[in-house]
Formats: sequence, structure tokens, C-alpha cells
Amino acid sequence: MQITQVGSPWPVEDERSLIARAAAGDRVATRVLYDTHVLRVHRLAFRLCGDPDLAADLTQDVFVQLFRQLGTFRGESSFTTWLHRVTVTTALNSMRKVKRFREHEADLEEAREFTVNGGEGDVDPDVRDALAAAIDALPESLRVALVMHAIEGYTHIEIGAALGIAEGTSKKRVFDARARLRTVLAIHREES
Amino acid sequence: MDDKQLDHLLKDAARTYRVPPSPERDAIWAHIEREAFVGPDRRHLPGWRIFATGVAASLLIGILVGRMTMRLGSEVPFARNPIALTLTPVERSAPYQRATEEFLGRTALLFAALPAAGSREGTNGQLSAQASQLLTTTRLLLDSPVGADTRMKQLLEDLELVLAQVSRLPTPRSSAELSLITQALEERDLVPRIRLAVVDLSGNEY
Repeated sequence: MQITQVGSPWPVEDERSLIARAAAGDRVATRVLYDTHVLRVHRLAFRLCGDPDLAADLTQDVFVQLFRQLGTFRGESSFTTWLHRVTVTTALNSMRKVKRFREHEADLEEAREFTVNGGEGDVDPDVRDALAAAIDALPESLRVALVMHAIEGYTHIEIGAALGIAEGTSKKRVFDARARLRTVLAIHREES
Repeated sequence: MDDKQLDHLLKDAARTYRVPPSPERDAIWAHIEREAFVGPDRRHLPGWRIFATGVAASLLIGILVGRMTMRLGSEVPFARNPIALTLTPVERSAPYQRATEEFLGRTALLFAALPAAGSREGTNGQLSAQASQLLTTTRLLLDSPVGADTRMKQLLEDLELVLAQVSRLPTPRSSAELSLITQALEERDLVPRIRLAVVDLSGNEY
């Protein structure tokens, strides 16, 4: 039986071998690593920033950093944990740097363009928009934890590793985020 | 709105909230190849020694200026007003100022010590323990009147993130982890912001 890492389709040994080859300069191995993980990295980056151009830039930055530092990867944590940590750190740093993170109304509007139909059939589009707006309005720490856990399906252990926080802190942040969303949506329901 | 209803909405959001367009894989890959394999070698971050010297110098100047300004601005010695209810706003804010100043100083010293992380056995463990203590202080300060100041709050939140990274610094030293911490320090301009915060502290009343 082959053992695979969470988030990676490769058996652990194969991935270690790939990483070793990529670290040694094997361009094919780096491309395979890239193809294996690019969609998840890009998706998380986009979910966090809501801007297609910025998400593409973040994805580039993550892999550039990753391949430059590949030689220092010791395999103490899983590769995907390390990758997500680099992704989240890069995303948060870059979003602060370009000041796009929840500060400009235009960006929020732009982000909402990517809220699409086609989810659960019985959800009122107004409620869907209200939820998207409420998520956008959450403080950064709560929003990142909520998006990673409830939207992207990361475990609290994975979130803790990616953000450098304890598993319990991740749970607390998601709990707080959900409480705020419930309040906002209840108000929205009363108003409508 | 109960938990079950919210779960249902979040399940919907997983399919509808900020659904990313397909990334242009090849264009992104071309950029990565240029930057990571072909472009100028930027693997070496600015020399740690220069960085550490800058941190130490900035910290020293900042703390000296901050303390001098605070002393000049404090007209009444604290000892003359032993009854808390009669304290002026300046005096009431003094403990927070001192605590914040001390916290910022210790944090900057920790950052200055990072280059040596792992060079001696046990160094990483000590740094991680210090970072954990500072992390606790950060959270206490965030919940205190100090956190009411927007700029200070942002600084504390940024420090919280970096201190959390340092507190989890693996033993033995990991260059990858240190690079991430350095990147966070530089991109968030933390050292200059610490210096400015120390200077500004004397002018604030919490």
C-alpha cells in the first residue's frame, strides 16, 4: 500500500524523490511539482485576495520562493504543509504590501464579481451575496482561518502549521468568525 | 440563523465564493523559470550582520529618543500622586507606555538575535521561548488601551504573526523558516515601524 500526503497525489517516497531531483536542478521534476500543486496554491491565493492578477502574481512568488529554498527543505514537515505555509505567508505579506486587502471598496466589489451561481440550489442569491460581503468584512485573522477551513477544507492542524498558530487558536478563530457571520446574516434576514 | 443553516451556506460558499478563474499555467511557469532558475541570483538575503547592526542602531536611537521625550513631557513625578484616582491622563498612560516600550525593545532585540539562531545548541529553543512570552504580551497589549491606537494595533498584529513564526522555529535551524521570517520583517517594515512607535509613544495617552 502506498502512503500519500494530504493534498498531494504522490506517494510520500515519490514526492521526496521528486523534491530531491528538483533541488538538484532537475527541471522536469520542478515542473512536475509545479503542475501537481499549482491549482491548489492559485485557488487559495485567489480565495484570500479575490484579485485574479494578484493571485497569479502570488502563485508565481510562492513557487519562485519554493524552488529557491528547495535545497533547505529537510522533510521534517510534509511538503504540502510547507507549501501552504509559504503560500499563506506570501499572500498576507503581498496583500498588505499592495494595500489591496479589504481597504478599498473597489477591490471588494471586484472580488464579488467572482461570487458565482451554481452552488447549493436552494440558496437565495441575496443571502449568498450577504454571506460573501460578511466574509470579506471579517478581520484578516478570522477571515483567513475561516476561508481555509470552511471554504477550502483545510484541517485545523494544517491551518495551525500554515499560520504558525496552535490548532486550538485556529478553532477559536473559526468559531469567532462563524459567530460574526451568524450575527450579520441574522440582521440581513430581519432587514429583508 | 443556527449552525446548521450556516453550515449549509458555507457549503454553498465553497462552490460560489471567489471562484478562481483558471490560472494561466504556462505564463506563470515562464515567469517562475525566469525568476527562480535564470534570473540574477537573489538567493542571498541582505547580510545578517548588516541587518542586525541596523536593527540594533535603530532600536537604540528610537528608545533613547522615546525615553528622553517622555521624561521631558512628564511634568509631575509619579511619586507625588500615590492615589490612583487623582492620576492625570499622562500618568495613567505611563504604565502602558513603559510596558509597550519594554515590549518593543525586547522584540527588536529578539529580531537582532535571529541571525545566530541555531548556531549554538539551544539557541533556537531560547529564542522560541522568548518569542512565546512576547507573543503573550502582544495579545495582552492588543486587548489593552494600547490596542485602541490604529497604527499601534496594526504593528502589534504584524508582530504577533512574526513572533508566532519565531516561536515555532524548528531545532536545528531551518534556513527556509528563517527566510520566511526575514521576508515578513522586511515586507512589513517592522524594524522601522518599531523605531517610530517607540518615538511616538511619548506623545500618546492610552
